[in-house]
Amino acid sequence: MTFMYIGKNFTPPDAQGKITGQARYAEDFRKEGMVFARLLTSPVPSGMVRNIDASEALRMDGVVGILTADDLPAAPRPGVPALTNELTYVGQPILALVAISEQIAENALERIKLDIERRPFVVDPLVSLAAGGPDAYPEGNVMARTADGMALKSLKWAPQAVEAFRNGRDPGDVEYTTEWSYGDLDAAFAECSVIVEEPFVTAGYPHHSLEPRTCMSYWENGRCYFHGSLQSQSAANAPLARMLGIELKDLCFINETTGGGFGSRIGPYPFMAISGYLSRNLNRPVQVRITREEEFFIGSARSGMQGWIKAGLKPDGKVAAVDVIIVNDGGSSGSGSGSSSAGAISVVYQPTAMRFRGVSVFTNTTPRGAQRGPGQNEMHAVLAPIMDKAANQLGIDRLAFRRLNAPDNNAKVEANQGPVTSAYMREAIDMGSQLFDWPAKISQPRRNGSKVIGVGVGMAYHGAGNNGFDGIVRIGPDGKIYLHTGVGNLGTYSYAGTVRAAAEVLQCRWENCEIVRGNSDLGLPHSSGQGGSNTIFTHTRSNYVAAMDAVGKLKEIAAAELGGTVDDYSIGEERVFKTATPTAGLTYAEAAQRAITLGGRYSGAEYPDDINELTALAVQRIAGSGLIGVAKDNLEKNGTAPGLAIGFAEIELDLDTGKYDIRDYLGVAECGTVVHPKGLSHGMNGGGTWGMGMAGFERHVYDPQNGLPANIGLYQSKPPTILDVPVVMRNAAVNIADPQTPIGARGIGEPAMGCAAAAVMSAIADALGGHLFNRTPVTPDMIIDHVAQNTYNNKSLKINTF
Amino acid sequence: MNPRLTRRRFIKGVIYSSAAAMSGAGFYLTNAQSRPAAAVERLISINVNGRTRRVDVLPQETLAHTLRYKLELTGTKLGCNRGECGACTVLIDDVTNYACSTLTHSVKQRAVTTVEGLQSPDGQLHPVQQAFLDELSPQCGFCTPGQVISTVALLKSNPKPTREQARQALSGNLCRCGAYDHYLNGVMRASGQLS
Amino acid sequence: MPSHDVMPDIELYQPVQVEDALALATRLADRGWLLGGGQDTYGWLKDRAKVPEAMIDLNGIESLRGIRETADGVEIGALTTLTELVNNPLIKERYSLLASAAERVASPQIRNVGTVAGNVAQDVRCWYYRRGLSCYRAGGNLCYADTPEGMNREHAIFGASRCVAVTPSDTAPALVALEASMVIRSESGERVVAAEDFFIGPNVDIQNTTVLRPGEILTSVRLPTTWANATFYFEKVADRNAWDFALVSIAAVMRESGGVIQDARFVAGAVQCTPRRLLDVESAVRGQPRTEATAQSLGTLASQGAQPLNHNGFKLHLVDSLAKRALLG
Repeated sequence: MTFMYIGKNFTPPDAQGKITGQARYAEDFRKEGMVFARLLTSPVPSGMVRNIDASEALRMDGVVGILTADDLPAAPRPGVPALTNELTYVGQPILALVAISEQIAENALERIKLDIERRPFVVDPLVSLAAGGPDAYPEGNVMARTADGMALKSLKWAPQAVEAFRNGRDPGDVEYTTEWSYGDLDAAFAECSVIVEEPFVTAGYPHHSLEPRTCMSYWENGRCYFHGSLQSQSAANAPLARMLGIELKDLCFINETTGGGFGSRIGPYPFMAISGYLSRNLNRPVQVRITREEEFFIGSARSGMQGWIKAGLKPDGKVAAVDVIIVNDGGSSGSGSGSSSAGAISVVYQPTAMRFRGVSVFTNTTPRGAQRGPGQNEMHAVLAPIMDKAANQLGIDRLAFRRLNAPDNNAKVEANQGPVTSAYMREAIDMGSQLFDWPAKISQPRRNGSKVIGVGVGMAYHGAGNNGFDGIVRIGPDGKIYLHTGVGNLGTYSYAGTVRAAAEVLQCRWENCEIVRGNSDLGLPHSSGQGGSNTIFTHTRSNYVAAMDAVGKLKEIAAAELGGTVDDYSIGEERVFKTATPTAGLTYAEAAQRAITLGGRYSGAEYPDDINELTALAVQRIAGSGLIGVAKDNLEKNGTAPGLAIGFAEIELDLDTGKYDIRDYLGVAECGTVVHPKGLSHGMNGGGTWGMGMAGFERHVYDPQNGLPANIGLYQSKPPTILDVPVVMRNAAVNIADPQTPIGARGIGEPAMGCAAAAVMSAIADALGGHLFNRTPVTPDMIIDHVAQNTYNNKSLKINTF
Repeated sequence: MNPRLTRRRFIKGVIYSSAAAMSGAGFYLTNAQSRPAAAVERLISINVNGRTRRVDVLPQETLAHTLRYKLELTGTKLGCNRGECGACTVLIDDVTNYACSTLTHSVKQRAVTTVEGLQSPDGQLHPVQQAFLDELSPQCGFCTPGQVISTVALLKSNPKPTREQARQALSGNLCRCGAYDHYLNGVMRASGQLS
Repeated sequence: MPSHDVMPDIELYQPVQVEDALALATRLADRGWLLGGGQDTYGWLKDRAKVPEAMIDLNGIESLRGIRETADGVEIGALTTLTELVNNPLIKERYSLLASAAERVASPQIRNVGTVAGNVAQDVRCWYYRRGLSCYRAGGNLCYADTPEGMNREHAIFGASRCVAVTPSDTAPALVALEASMVIRSESGERVVAAEDFFIGPNVDIQNTTVLRPGEILTSVRLPTTWANATFYFEKVADRNAWDFALVSIAAVMRESGGVIQDARFVAGAVQCTPRRLLDVESAVRGQPRTEATAQSLGTLASQGAQPLNHNGFKLHLVDSLAKRALLG
């Protein structure tokens, strides 16, 4: 298909504000009379607040008020309460104090006396799993199905089972909370000539989006105006309105720019309630500025995992069987992603039989949530060297092995072994092999003094496309095309990329389009939460259907006025005209004027029944202002839309220092049609940087003695700097359209990271003669210890500690 | 005590009573009752983006605070307030500084340039900004003002940096999105080495 | 606990003459805080982990700035920034070791304001201590790091004495290697202390890492000609290539003649609370050529006597490797 806009670079309209400093993030908004809230957070990993004595603080000049858990509706438990008296990790917010300046608020916090009853705590899920070990909550350490639904319970393994698991063996007959399988595992293993059995540990770590999640809100005439920072604009409204106990129409959510999300801002987070409630209670605008330290505490984190895998290869190199066990560190929210981790294996290696058993254990560490390829990416990272080992044992080239097992259009996905919309991983591998020059890279001399070259490859998958959301386009009587989007501006430019699908359908000039976004009062359609690499697939579709609706209405209006049927009409150059006699027609501006006059569904006075309530409210706001195209995406979709990527890395590792330079990195995307090349490049290189962080730097460290986190700040948690990634990062894309979506595009943000982490891990193992660290990250001390034949790093693996 | 240590030399008076009101909507009032007499004068002039601004500044106030909350120059971002991210990078006499870790009182005799001060009076983008726009260097944009400022400083002292030199110069600006490659492309374009 | 990040109320003095600063330092004693570049100041203050009553901003004192040649070498004003050190022709030409070390500090913006005095006087980075725990160094009576379960990957392998924090300074090992001397002034006069004696371990003083006492100001650092234009080697190994503290660093100076090393000083950073002279290595290399064979003969001399904690055994190998690399250059 030939596109006017899809696949072409453009400058998204928000970019200029970002380089001039005019772009506004939540904390940049001020409001007359605004007061400042600061949080008091838990000093202990586990306990109960028995009493809060804020009397002295409240007597201080400039202190305006206080909000505690008692002032908020009861939160689900266990969960992620905005404020709480039940303390489940160090740094958990207990109360918010408001003053006329931040400094007064901070001074006042020091005058608050807390009476805290301590409870036992645990920071290592295996310590909690072992019989006799502490539970993170009094009622237990896992969520399990009971007669009353999901509830906390204490799940324990025999100490010897835990010890076996810690040391890399199947723990045997123990209880799990999640299990699935497909195929005949025993029969599949029986066909294998190579079987590898390995333990693995991956560290959890904070998202640390660069913009702390500050909120500001105020109330006017019973409506709440809320400045927040989310990945999606429109996914905020309904849950946030519920959180505040108001009707959807009474919430105006404003979020022009978001300083990174990476999964931590998919929907409204509980802490948003704080400014909402305080501003209502005080009847003043309230800002809750979040500090970097608080961003570590409440900004979400990846779940760590500890696992065991057994994988078998048939003599021809096909992966026949995979058996995997994963214990997740769910932190205080209990959220693990083990099933997703296992599911990712099923996609990239297409084993004929597979079993997953897992349990996510609560610990007294920060709450966990989705982080860029949650479950999948850390699995890809630790799995790559393990699969390399299997391929090497079989004597098959590591890349050829991956090509042999790569998903194609017949691929099966995860536990239910459902279909894909399409998959061209083999094409990605071939493209990457050529661009990276795999044959030359692997045959080059490897050793030079203390330096040794490692070459690695890694694949990654994430489900990357949803459907069923709404789109709105409006053609104004001024002739301009207003592209309404509820997609948030989290840095991917996908809000702009996806509306280009509408411009494409309307065949209008891009310069004549205006993207309407950033404030729900502008009339924005419902959107996805923009997690899971979903935006491009999901919202090119919703924009497509809205634009198709508009085109249909244009033709109906023209046919009504100029005669004939809609089939007699075409569009082009912002006119709807008779195909046979192009001079007979209406400009878009004229048609929009007619739509206003006609009313009904043309002007937005009426709209489809199946659209979301938020979309309906949006249409009501803009009804009568032009020709309104509005529709829900009811297009067919049969199967999982996969985001697939393959990464290639060449490193030079110094055996003396344990440091390595990534000399070359290439990521190849298989994400269907490329919508926005520069946006894709950002996704691939940014994901690549994240992958390098996962492979080499980032992790939680908790002291098991006192439950304190060791590495809160950025210099301690070590996201990669510009000097930790290659001087040039390369990327490419297969660019074959997915047949199950009109624009042909799928998402890629998450696999972009997983393939890089996997490629670097693969390269490290390659440089060290196939040595497996069985964990991420691999830091210089581990490499040094390996070279010196110290024994500490490979045995008795633990989450959250060195 | 050294007789030359007169109160006048370095204890230059105290607070101007009208100053707090000037600073905007009363957000920035400190708890006056608890404050001891200040050793530095609070009402000072600072030169920001070529303009002299009179502003009431607490002794301990950081430049980032003054810029963002008193002068409404919110392009200077606070990502960590700890000198660990670089989002608050500004130029002080053409040298990059973390505004979160600089006292406003230390810039009294110096010229501060923020991202808002780079465009020409007619609104034309600074060449670095134009290059960053052409390369679509930012992702989420939160670190971008700092990246722009560090690049402006680099090109003043080294108009044709190598890519390696450029990344050294930008190594104090964390980008969590990982847009480093695109920023480097922006630097190379701004220095005329990429067309 | 509150997650503070707003500067607390504190006085600010901005003297323009060193005498005024000294008078203030004397008067305020431990209630005052000397402010150079401030990069190890604001975090302490924002956290309320240190609560001085006043900052004495030394930046207005011109006499504390600049690098000048003296009869016996070079004198570096205490307020000289790390960037100035990196770019200074005299330093680059004669003492490039110090420039190399300064260049590896933190980030460009921190080097632009961070001073040589601040870099050597900065406090330790033990995360327990920085977290505000009441450890020995903070006046308490226990160490959280030196325990079987302590998270002590970055901590000391030598010289533990209640505290196991290490020197975080990148320039300190270079200054010790170069036999720098530190000029310290107080109202009662001036004293000059060898860099090697300037840094003190917890066995000497649990709460201070240098000999500087309240009322004293480090006014300059002198580099003697002894090691000017010698053979230098500096390497810092850290997790990240910017904005990180050393896991281990090494600064070495060597004088060669007739194909062999006449004299040498090898100093390791981040292995103990002070820069550590590797005396055994120094004596082993004297009279030897800079060859692979000499390097191999060093074996584990550098780490001899080290007592690793649970998670920092790698530092033994790293310091041994770095000693060999320093020899070979």
